[in-house]
Amino acid sequence: MGEFNVINTRAPRLDAAAKATGRAKYADDLSMPGMLYGAILQSPIAHGKILNIDTSRARRLPGVKAVVTAKEAGLVKYGVSPARYDETLYAYEKVRYVGDEIAAVAAVDLATALEAVQLIKVDYEELPAVFDMFEAMKEGAPQIHDEFPGNLTAEVHQEFGDTDAAMAECDLIVDHTLLSKRQDAAFIEPHCCLAHFDLDGKLTLQTSTQVPHYVMRTVAMVLRIPVGNVRVLKPYVGGGFGPKAEATPLEMSAALLARETGKPVKMNYSREQVFLHSRARHQFYAEMSLGVKKDGTMVALRNKAVLDGGAYTSFGIATVYYSGSLLGGPYKLKAMKYDGLRVYTNKPACGAQRGHGGVIHRAAFEQLLDKTAEKLGLDPLEMRLKNIMATGDVTINELDMSSLGMKECLEAVRDGSEWYKKKGKLPKGKGIGSACGFFVSGAGYPIYRSDTYHATVIVKLSEDGGIVNVLSGAAEIGQGSDTMMAMIAAEALGVPLDCVRVVSGDTDLTVDLGAYSSRQTLMTGHAVKEAAEHARAQVVEVLAEMMKCDPASITFRDGKVFFDGGPGNFEEIRKRYIKEHRGWTDPPGGEYLTFKEAARMAYLAKGTIVGTGKYKPPKLGGSYKGAAVGTSPAYGCSAQVVEVTVDMETGEVTVDAMTDAHDCGRAINRTQVEGQMQGSLSMGLGECLFEEVKFDSRGRILNASLGEYKVPTSLDMPNVNTIIVESNEPKGPFGAKEVGEGAIMPTIPAILNAIYDATGVRITELPVTPERLYMAMKAKKKEK
Amino acid sequence: MKRIIQLTVNGERAEVAVEPNRTLLQVLREDLGLTGTKHGCGLGDCGACTVILDGRPVNSCLVLAVQANGSDVLTIEGLAENGKLHPLQRAFVEKGAIQCGFCSPGMILSAKALLDENPKPTEKEIRMAISGNLCRCTGYQKIVEAIQAVASGEIMQGGDS
Amino acid sequence: MLLPRFEYHEPTTLEEALKLLSELGGNAKVLAGGTDLLVRMKQKIDRPAHVISLARIPGLKEITPRNGHGITVGAGASAATLSRHELLWDRFTPLASASSRLGSPLIRNRATIGGNLVNARPAADLPPACMVLNATVKLKSRSDERDVPVAEFFRGPGETVIEPNELLVSVNMETPPPWTGGAYIKLAARKSLEISLVNVAALLTLKSAGGPIVDAKIALGAVAPTPVRAYAAEQVLIGNKPSEKLFKTAGETGVGMCSPITDHRGTMEYRCMMIEVLTKRCLSMALESARSWKPLK
Repeated sequence: MGEFNVINTRAPRLDAAAKATGRAKYADDLSMPGMLYGAILQSPIAHGKILNIDTSRARRLPGVKAVVTAKEAGLVKYGVSPARYDETLYAYEKVRYVGDEIAAVAAVDLATALEAVQLIKVDYEELPAVFDMFEAMKEGAPQIHDEFPGNLTAEVHQEFGDTDAAMAECDLIVDHTLLSKRQDAAFIEPHCCLAHFDLDGKLTLQTSTQVPHYVMRTVAMVLRIPVGNVRVLKPYVGGGFGPKAEATPLEMSAALLARETGKPVKMNYSREQVFLHSRARHQFYAEMSLGVKKDGTMVALRNKAVLDGGAYTSFGIATVYYSGSLLGGPYKLKAMKYDGLRVYTNKPACGAQRGHGGVIHRAAFEQLLDKTAEKLGLDPLEMRLKNIMATGDVTINELDMSSLGMKECLEAVRDGSEWYKKKGKLPKGKGIGSACGFFVSGAGYPIYRSDTYHATVIVKLSEDGGIVNVLSGAAEIGQGSDTMMAMIAAEALGVPLDCVRVVSGDTDLTVDLGAYSSRQTLMTGHAVKEAAEHARAQVVEVLAEMMKCDPASITFRDGKVFFDGGPGNFEEIRKRYIKEHRGWTDPPGGEYLTFKEAARMAYLAKGTIVGTGKYKPPKLGGSYKGAAVGTSPAYGCSAQVVEVTVDMETGEVTVDAMTDAHDCGRAINRTQVEGQMQGSLSMGLGECLFEEVKFDSRGRILNASLGEYKVPTSLDMPNVNTIIVESNEPKGPFGAKEVGEGAIMPTIPAILNAIYDATGVRITELPVTPERLYMAMKAKKKEK
Repeated sequence: MKRIIQLTVNGERAEVAVEPNRTLLQVLREDLGLTGTKHGCGLGDCGACTVILDGRPVNSCLVLAVQANGSDVLTIEGLAENGKLHPLQRAFVEKGAIQCGFCSPGMILSAKALLDENPKPTEKEIRMAISGNLCRCTGYQKIVEAIQAVASGEIMQGGDS
Repeated sequence: MLLPRFEYHEPTTLEEALKLLSELGGNAKVLAGGTDLLVRMKQKIDRPAHVISLARIPGLKEITPRNGHGITVGAGASAATLSRHELLWDRFTPLASASSRLGSPLIRNRATIGGNLVNARPAADLPPACMVLNATVKLKSRSDERDVPVAEFFRGPGETVIEPNELLVSVNMETPPPWTGGAYIKLAARKSLEISLVNVAALLTLKSAGGPIVDAKIALGAVAPTPVRAYAAEQVLIGNKPSEKLFKTAGETGVGMCSPITDHRGTMEYRCMMIEVLTKRCLSMALESARSWKPLK
């Protein structure tokens, strides 16, 4: 028997059978008697003054129960970061992008609601609009928010060490730029919610969200409902990846319409509206220079970023900080300078998406590293190894790598891919590339300034002692957090996994900041462990008293109780249990006392046994401005090697093989860790090769569908040689840390470096469509 | 004007009065309460609404309910028999082929249609058969492995694998 | 996404369908597989007052070989059926191959050959294949019937010679002569669920397995408002010994016959260059197929 009984196994997910049979309920599967359907009116123009809104025809349409505009909704400003509350539920005075919300309708059915929306007449005075981030920064560009002149929503200027001096001592300085495109998370479940008020004025909002807690706070704030009167319940969620990590106008509209009508209101985004709401990956422009010594030692990095944020800030402040802070590692640097700008344009707002803020700058940097290695005549993978950080290192921007299996990951993919047999030895058109990356294991600070706990958890034992209920506000969105919680609780209590039940995603249960920044395994996991241990201690206390033994001599394992490692003399307890449960079908047996019997005794002595746990990170990071972004109790890291075939005549790229090693500290569930890794690589592959949200000259999305916005199909994604590295993170529950986002970091640059290896063309613009690569190869031929 | 249609859904006869502009997806979800079939895009781009119609997997969002009159429809709810998971469902559970689960019903039905026709498919044939079902979570690998596990007999009907 | 309201008709005979068409004409749309029409109706691009379903008309899905001389493919045959049809793969390869690349497996189970032709999307998969096979379509109205070569069927994006009272009932092809082989090739970003950036169908007839080219047909899709036959490129090939170089020249000639557009999927420039590459490749594949020609058992 290994160190653990439950964690570190391949236990099936708790929710898998429900999902495999179609029984699992997602928001759109819910309905209530008397339910109305809502629909939102969105701006057809990109920038304009609202002169008048006439809702009279919509109100007169039979079946319409309510029409709301800014007049009814009020003008409470909200957003993600309190420093940039720049949105109101409905536009007033001005619309700022095609899709800006203007009004909402509730009606007896969806067809009527949609028809009513069309009957709302809005008079606009169209204003000049700006869609390009560089144009938006120019003098004389249309101004999108009066409060933010120059269309700058956020700027960051940071320097660690003396970059100029460090650059001066370098033997070689190499530059690189990379321009990415706006992308979409393309989760398969469009947003949906169902809101209703009870007679006491309490709102219950069932919604497809990653962050019930933040939705609760935002809806309460915007609609001026006491926060204690808002309950957000998350049913099963069909993927989030970031864009579902903030409150939406859909949720607020449903709540508002439910209040106006006194009836339950259901609302959906269509797939097109998912694209219009966006809050997905920004467009990034990265420009950077790396200074190195002749031997390949990295010395200094200059990094500039421009981000197209769209019409509102959303997560954007954090995003633009991450683009800088996440280059502090995993390579040692003496100095680093970062200048980042996030710009408003008349397009849907961008927000957080898997690998928040870090992905494109990581891609640019890892390309730059390869470029530098080539100039120095070094193997790029060896140059990575030469500069790699290890456990205990602190980055120049004060990120503490309390565990870091980066070197182990890199060596694992080097060996797993047979790097040395292939690098430099493949025929033209075939290439191999490598890259590294890391990501936070939970943001060190909440989005709003507060001393709040980031996660609290209740572990409640059933009256018969046989069932462990884990109650939490955490958000299972497909990543597997319910199973993670159950496995940690089972391990900490010493019971089998199948006696643990999880109820989660309910703000009435506990506080949990939700599923973003890869935080739940570490943070919620900690709180689960503490709560389970708390419950365990109470059972132990009662048991020790009954058995008149030292509490320290009692251990629980696999649902059995050991006294000094043996069965002990527990006859009296068993007799009492069976007497209590006369006629029940599951009498305890066997040569050991069971946890169930022990927990029953604890109940009889103390009442319902409830363990509570909580987690808040210690104070983290430096004291410089923006130091909070990028800090985390721990960091997961990943290395990848990708092999590609490029069709030299058409520019088509086929990814033939991927080798990925990720350090997740300790795998709570090995299958799920692999699933996160493979899923991350698939998303990275799509973002590298296919994905781009495109606009016409008037700011309308050209490809707001899953037919024209191209995510990888089963024929585009190869199998991944998936290697788990476990560094045992001291600050993680049972040593665990993140996997869901760090794993996407190396994917894009590893593919780009492989394409370079195959073609000799260094990509400076994403996505690498066949046409883009073909044209780049053609331009390169001309150069010669 | 509403029309009365008859369907055999998961082996049971159903009679529904439908407007002609309602899709099979809407009727399954809203009239028959079979919400296991998911709505992901409405345009045949994602495959979340896959059902097996007269033996063939189709996007139920692009089939009018009236077109399906007289047809045999298998949805995800009809796959488990007597409360026992179908081998494909077990394989998806055991192999970690399910994350958010929103594509799973459609994915499983596409896989079932494949195995009904070709019980020993190659990996390429499996990937081809599910290439109309998008999954954003898994990277497809564990889905392919799950289908392979059924094809190879590793996970069998009724057995405990 | 909701469908607009419409009146639904479900004729059970061809005569009934043609009668409905003659009465409703321009106010009606014909529903076959629905993978194009229903999408356009959901997007409110098409708002027909009447929809006439062909589902209950017997015989429209049949594929009928005509004694070795040719084949009649019912308009309602699905792309999936075509892509699984052994005789089509043997003798009408471009059509079988194009059918196997249309949309996705789920789409192919619904989409029909009739729909794919009548919808006349410039990037559609089946039209170029039908063109190189010299297919004709049978158009029926209540009072009339005519056979139109597919090469003369298309007028522009979404436009064909079909009259509002006419129904496309079948696609007819003569069996190509011995030592004929064909191919279809499609360029797109992804490997499934894709609209072609450029597609090419080709048919080559050799004198013998090792002999010169006696006949050649090339059709290009997504490169002009309608799919185009590259006659001049075909002339480059006919009478010559097949070679990589010859195929390249044919490809270059093919480019001159196209007028691709620049849109968000690709530029004119790239499309032109890909016509050349894809034509060359498609010809090579067709050559291989011609050389392995075998009499049917």
